[in-house]
Amino acid sequence: MTVTTATPPASRAPAPRRRAGRIDWSQPVVYVVALAVVAVAIGPVIYVFISGFRTNPDFFTDPAGLPNPWTVENYARVLGDSSFWNQVLASTVTALGTTLGVMLLGVMAAFVIARYEFRGRGFLYALFTTGLLFPLTISILPLTVLLRQMGLFGNWWGLIIPQVAFALPLTIIILTPFLRAIPVELEDAALVDGASRVGFFWRILLPLSMPGLMTVGVLAFVGSWNAYLLPLFVLQAGGAGIDNYTLPLGVQFYSTAYGQDTTGVLAYTALAMLPAILFFTLAERRIVGGLQGAVKG
Amino acid sequence: MTATETTGPAVSAGPAPARGTKRRNRARAGQRREIALFVTPAVLVYVVFVLLPVVLAAYYSFFNWNGLGPVDRFIGLDNYVRLLTDPVFHTAVYNNFFIIVLSLLIQGPIAILVALLMNRRLRFRGLLRALIFVPYVLSEVTAGLAWQILLQSVPPTRWGPVDTMLQAIGIQDPPAWLADPNVVMWTMFGILTWKYLGLAIILMLAGLAGVPEELYEAASLDGAGWWKTQWYITVPLLGPTIRIWAFLSIIGSLQLFDMVWIVTGGGPLNASNTMAVYMVKYGLNVSQIGFGSAVAVVLFFISLFIALGYQRFALRRDLEGSLTGGKRK
Amino acid sequence: MNRRSTRLVALTAAAGLAVAALSGCATGSSGPEETGGDVTLTWWHNGTGEPLKSFWEEVGAEFEADHPGVTVEIEAFQNEDLQRTLIPNALQSGGDAAPDLFMVWAEGEIKAQVEAGYLKDLSGLTDVVESVGGAGTGWNVDGKQYGIPFRFGIEGIWYNSDLFEKAGVTETPATFDEFGEAIGKLADSGVAPIGVGAGDGWPAAHWWYQFAIKTCSGDSLKKAAETLDFSDPCFVEAGKNLKTWMDGFDGDLPFQSNPTSTPAQSVPNSAAGLLAAQTTSMELMGTWHRGEVAKLVPGAPAEDPPAPEWLSWMPVPDIEGAAGEPGAALGSGDAWGVYADAPDETLELLEYIMSEDVQTRFAATGEIPTVAGAEAGITDPVLKQIAEGTVNASLVVTWLDTQYGPVIGQAMNEAIVNLMFGNGTPEQIPEAMNAAAATL
Repeated sequence: MTVTTATPPASRAPAPRRRAGRIDWSQPVVYVVALAVVAVAIGPVIYVFISGFRTNPDFFTDPAGLPNPWTVENYARVLGDSSFWNQVLASTVTALGTTLGVMLLGVMAAFVIARYEFRGRGFLYALFTTGLLFPLTISILPLTVLLRQMGLFGNWWGLIIPQVAFALPLTIIILTPFLRAIPVELEDAALVDGASRVGFFWRILLPLSMPGLMTVGVLAFVGSWNAYLLPLFVLQAGGAGIDNYTLPLGVQFYSTAYGQDTTGVLAYTALAMLPAILFFTLAERRIVGGLQGAVKG
Repeated sequence: MTATETTGPAVSAGPAPARGTKRRNRARAGQRREIALFVTPAVLVYVVFVLLPVVLAAYYSFFNWNGLGPVDRFIGLDNYVRLLTDPVFHTAVYNNFFIIVLSLLIQGPIAILVALLMNRRLRFRGLLRALIFVPYVLSEVTAGLAWQILLQSVPPTRWGPVDTMLQAIGIQDPPAWLADPNVVMWTMFGILTWKYLGLAIILMLAGLAGVPEELYEAASLDGAGWWKTQWYITVPLLGPTIRIWAFLSIIGSLQLFDMVWIVTGGGPLNASNTMAVYMVKYGLNVSQIGFGSAVAVVLFFISLFIALGYQRFALRRDLEGSLTGGKRK
Repeated sequence: MNRRSTRLVALTAAAGLAVAALSGCATGSSGPEETGGDVTLTWWHNGTGEPLKSFWEEVGAEFEADHPGVTVEIEAFQNEDLQRTLIPNALQSGGDAAPDLFMVWAEGEIKAQVEAGYLKDLSGLTDVVESVGGAGTGWNVDGKQYGIPFRFGIEGIWYNSDLFEKAGVTETPATFDEFGEAIGKLADSGVAPIGVGAGDGWPAAHWWYQFAIKTCSGDSLKKAAETLDFSDPCFVEAGKNLKTWMDGFDGDLPFQSNPTSTPAQSVPNSAAGLLAAQTTSMELMGTWHRGEVAKLVPGAPAEDPPAPEWLSWMPVPDIEGAAGEPGAALGSGDAWGVYADAPDETLELLEYIMSEDVQTRFAATGEIPTVAGAEAGITDPVLKQIAEGTVNASLVVTWLDTQYGPVIGQAMNEAIVNLMFGNGTPEQIPEAMNAAAATL
């Protein structure tokens, strides 16, 4: 959970000038420190990827060594496993569903909060922001009971809908100032041109708020892609079957069911890490953007 | 995306943009319908799936309910009494605060230091940033499983990968990372630092990007050295970033579940339970839903208390009432 | 998404989210899916590994072939998930979500489900009930039979005969004194004598259970199980005996190092994995251990791994002069239960599964059956030995955590691990059990 404020695009600060051309005496030290941090950060990840190329006897002979011999068998087996691909699909569908759901519901609610003057507006906003204090951990038990009673237990909807609900507070907090900063003149002009306010929302406001929407979208996607607690309770406890598991659950299941095959588990883990690493490091600026909106420097 | 203090209370509901009275009157007519149309889906989903469960948790916590059959055995505050007198729960609370304090005292300074060093023109700066960020984007499950395999060790016949590496550099008798109750929370803190340090560094870097260049120039004109400049000028200006990071870190530490559940399951000998782990272990796993709900309620109040307190004393200027929903204006 | 989920989504959509949520009523339709006389039976079991998984599917297919119009949907789940979350949740949801035929655990475990009215009384299947004989008592609640065990056996000490030989242990120890000597010899030969997966709690707890049934009289145990009052001094005595025995050895002995971070099974660094890798020489475990060790032998084939030849079994030695019933053993099994609203065909399926023919073939997969006559299917000499031991035991006491139910079971197991590997005392075990019983 995060507390974030975002900045209206209009007031975005100009990119800070960098101190050009000055080479610091401490430059080498900086590289050493940065590389050390990088090594600690990605060392274990690289270890997992490389160990996926090992055989089990080799792994247990020298757990810290390099593969001897190298084998692609583990990776080939995982990639040939239909459950793995089903889990990739499950993760993708639930993450996309969550993302689209939260963007749509979030921007609609934020639109009203940002641009309508009505009694209860402050209350509405307060209602959503308090949500930051209700993390999933607290409500997971009753939520399970609730989902069960609604028949949402053990299927993807039971994952998507609560995830949308839990992502709403942050989304609304980020989007509201964004939408508010869009000049009234634009709205008036649209209305003069005969557009309704709803039409203004769809045709002008939505495209203009794309940067903010992308940020909340990426955050919701990350949250859903990596989620463990809710899938554990909704999918696994709900008896969804491993072909409906999301990747984190799938990895955990594989590690229990085929635990004797350590390097196979490492290969599965590595492949499950890969989409996250590729996608999220590419989207790093967005994620950081979203989180750092919180940071008013 | 950086903001300046002048943006004002971005987080409060704030005023809607002003518009002419005439337009406003005309808009009033259809306004209610539009509001309802736009807000209802979000409110419905939010109330049913976020608020209602919390209310239900509070309700269940007064009952002895095993999750089967009707909720009809009212036992008043018994669940709370049992919880608050259970030494295992005390350890769990202690562990949450252990992580909070260590994070603030160790992760924070390291992140600030690294960020200060990296806040300059560097070759491959973007790549370094992205690599530092990698652990943060991994799911807790994959990261946790990896660490479990790395750390698990059964001396003397089956040393784990980390222990083998340590022995290669001369540390013959490494600690029992996951088996020693006195060590396990430090291990857990190490793993969490690995996972979240990158985020902290990148947040700090983002905060540093907002420090005006002119200040450095002024300082260097005054003859201040690098360290002095950082300490007296940069760090104070980084205050808001640090306070927000600290808030995220505290709340995250209070809710800690996934990583512990995957790596140790709260063991050995219940030495690494957190409140959330305790809740699942003694609530859901043994079908004592009422008791588990009482844990949830206590966890909630601790979070609320800390969030409000922190907001009041540290975040006031930065957040302007995000948690109280902009009542303060 | 599988068919079940799609169906549930449709149902939910029809019922409306908010209404269901606020009124708190279930939206699942009642009863099984029945269209035009066709019946679908759902069957959940814990046989995720081979050969069992295929075997149950085969049995289901045979039943389908004999009963046109009946479809049997079989799903295998990991044991703890099945027992702790899947089945309770499915039963609570009721209707379509509940499986028709599923595994039920004995005594304390089955009781809550019976009380909530989720299980069908199977007493009417007299032939089946009689065919399993005394093994069925654990699933008898207030004189009615709610579960039919299909697998039943006592636990014992699995050991590595090669390592025993190497260490010079020539005879299997019959008493705890001899056992201690054997442990000393094994340790001297450079292996960890006993492996224990205390990270999961229960494998360590079974050592205390063994001391308890050897220290407490049959009557004391029975009374404790009925009243859930554990004030009988023999429970403290059991812990003292266990601790005294353990304290007779140096350091980590008689167990391997880092017991509390060692899981029970399924991974190479688990207690089962250590036995399979021949780094430990003994382990106290139930009948399923043979398959577990087989798959963890380094280099074992993924399909149908054979049990290693050195894997042997002996009953837990007796403690000289202890008050417990001589010849008492700990054990239990797994049973089938039927959901209260399950269609009648489920009972036919159950009868078929429990037929002597199916049970004999079940035994041949490396299991210990319950139906009289089916033991003829056991081919493995070790399993034969366990089956005989089970029959010959003067008293088979169900695993204590199963007997007392999950809440007391968890408190008890934690207190035991604390006594063995932490700073707990023998007194704290019954104290923790009594405290847990008070929260029920």
